Amino acid sequence: MTPLVLAANLGLSFAALAALCLSLNRHHAEVFDRKAERAAVLRLRAFGWAAITLSLFVAGLWEGWAFGPVQWIGALTGAALGLVLLLSYRPRYVAPAALAALVAAALPLSILAVSA
Amino acid sequence: MKASFRQSMAWLHTWSGLIVGWVLFAIFVTGTASYYRPDISRWMRPEFTQVEPVDAAALGATAERAVAHLGQHAAKARTWFIGLPQADKPVLDLFWRTRPGEPPGHVLLDPRTGAEAAVRDTQGGDFLYRFHFELHMPPLWGRWVVGLCAMIMLVALISGIVTHKRIFADFFTFRRDKAPRRSWLDAHNVTGVLALPFHLMITYTGIVTLATFYMPWGVTAAYKGNAQAFFSEASWITTPRPPANRPAALAPVGPMVERALASRPEPLERLMIVNPGDANATVVAVFEEPHGLSHEHPQIAFDGVSGEILEVRDGGLKPAAKTFTVMTGLHEGHFAGLLLRLLFFLCGLMGCAMVATGVVLWSLARLPKAGERPFLGLRLVQALNVGSIAGLPAAVAVYFLANRLLPLDLAGREQWEIRAFFGAWIVAALVPLARPQRRAWCEGLAAVSVLCLAVVAADLLTIPDHPLRLGGGDPLFAWFDAAMLLLAALFALAARKMLRYEAPKRDRARGAKPAPVTAPAASPARPPARRPEPTHA
Repeated sequence: MTPLVLAANLGLSFAALAALCLSLNRHHAEVFDRKAERAAVLRLRAFGWAAITLSLFVAGLWEGWAFGPVQWIGALTGAALGLVLLLSYRPRYVAPAALAALVAAALPLSILAVSA
Repeated sequence: MKASFRQSMAWLHTWSGLIVGWVLFAIFVTGTASYYRPDISRWMRPEFTQVEPVDAAALGATAERAVAHLGQHAAKARTWFIGLPQADKPVLDLFWRTRPGEPPGHVLLDPRTGAEAAVRDTQGGDFLYRFHFELHMPPLWGRWVVGLCAMIMLVALISGIVTHKRIFADFFTFRRDKAPRRSWLDAHNVTGVLALPFHLMITYTGIVTLATFYMPWGVTAAYKGNAQAFFSEASWITTPRPPANRPAALAPVGPMVERALASRPEPLERLMIVNPGDANATVVAVFEEPHGLSHEHPQIAFDGVSGEILEVRDGGLKPAAKTFTVMTGLHEGHFAGLLLRLLFFLCGLMGCAMVATGVVLWSLARLPKAGERPFLGLRLVQALNVGSIAGLPAAVAVYFLANRLLPLDLAGREQWEIRAFFGAWIVAALVPLARPQRRAWCEGLAAVSVLCLAVVAADLLTIPDHPLRLGGGDPLFAWFDAAMLLLAALFALAARKMLRYEAPKRDRARGAKPAPVTAPAASPARPPARRPEPTHA
């Protein structure tokens, strides 16, 4: 189970952090060359925090509430490191990568949901 | 001191970070490597891959062989420790202490024959692991120094959080292409903030694991100096039994091992035989940790003469004891599988990077203006930076290299490996004192890269069944070498960056400061002439 849960967590964390990151003006401008609209900022933040929360529940439900939080924080840290490096070297790829991460998280999540 | 709270915290962060920075870097590097201690140990004892693992049914007879050897060679010892064959260490690992002041005995035995195992003499990953909390000093001194550094680290972490003005706004910010001090500060912030939960956890739990050692007075007062009683109540050990001072023969341990194995699913890790040959001899069977956050080894104590079970220690800890074992467990991360372990390792690397960027920042913030000479303290810090950030990895690489290249029959081989480690480190720390800054960095980083490549080459040349030579063999060697190649690439990249780096134009026009980075150059928020006080650095 663990690799699947961790993959789902990493994907969710990356998408969530990318959304939160793009909700900040400086990074939004780096990636899209324009300022973020107020509504978009709110949507990105809502999605980001929701995905982080979902990730905690995914980790907690499948790994138990002892290992879950450890894995949740680990996945968040790993994803954040990847995001910062990507943002620094290839800012244009951040949005597509976030979408890809979301899709990549959906796959293990659906396997987990089916097998549960 | 007349300053705002944040400014005083910045001061605290700067100086607390600097004074322990280099030791912390060493602690972080060796600690991070210790996540792979079993793998490093196995890589350093390639003979182990030839030994076939012992299956559980034969473990009883294997333990008997160990006891027979100890009875012959360590009859006077008060306690025998018998490490039973494990997947990553398929031999008998015997250890005994006769009396304080005398060097302890240690030997590895072939589990099938009971003869001495033909394994090269090395401490393997245990050296790095022990260095992590003892710095290769006498244990008491080393642990005190490491504990002090860890406490100052905690101070630096918390004052760093206070000092960081824009912790949320700058959460993802890493501007590589801005003025050097800005980029280094970003790198310091990003590695610190992103892995902050890890840093706080690892520092705090690190102190807690040795808390009763640093502050024994509570235990001393509550248990009237009888620390053993505390250890036993905290479920670290089974109830100690004093010797009866009457001789009695030790019962065969084989049946005890079999009984222990039948009672639990975990593999048996080691036996501890206290007061062998005495009427009150005790045999304690210690299991591996069951899967869980908490670091607790189930234990079964047998009467050494009758072979009856005296006591079973298995879970059921009270909240305080449980909190302690969970903290220790979190620190060690034994529970982590392949991927989670990789994340822990990554967090550890970020810790190393945070400390390294921190000490580099200190020197960047104090670079002399054009025409001034660097003051002595700055030169010293700069040299120590190279000596630790490039020097320690170089020393670790030399340690691995020595393991492969020293003759197998060299007397005191284990000590020579360690001497090679320290020799390399001393050289790497002294050379930068005599070299210009940028040269020193380039040479140091390039040397690490070359040494990592040399480790791979030596591994390929000296291991006859290396997986890259035949396509068979133990994949461990391929993984280890791949990690070394990755490190070599990383350090080569860093060296190249250092070589190619050009200071911003204004500084070049003023002509040739060889330092990699000069002056608080163009940053719109900061007029160039301003000295670096307010933000932390």
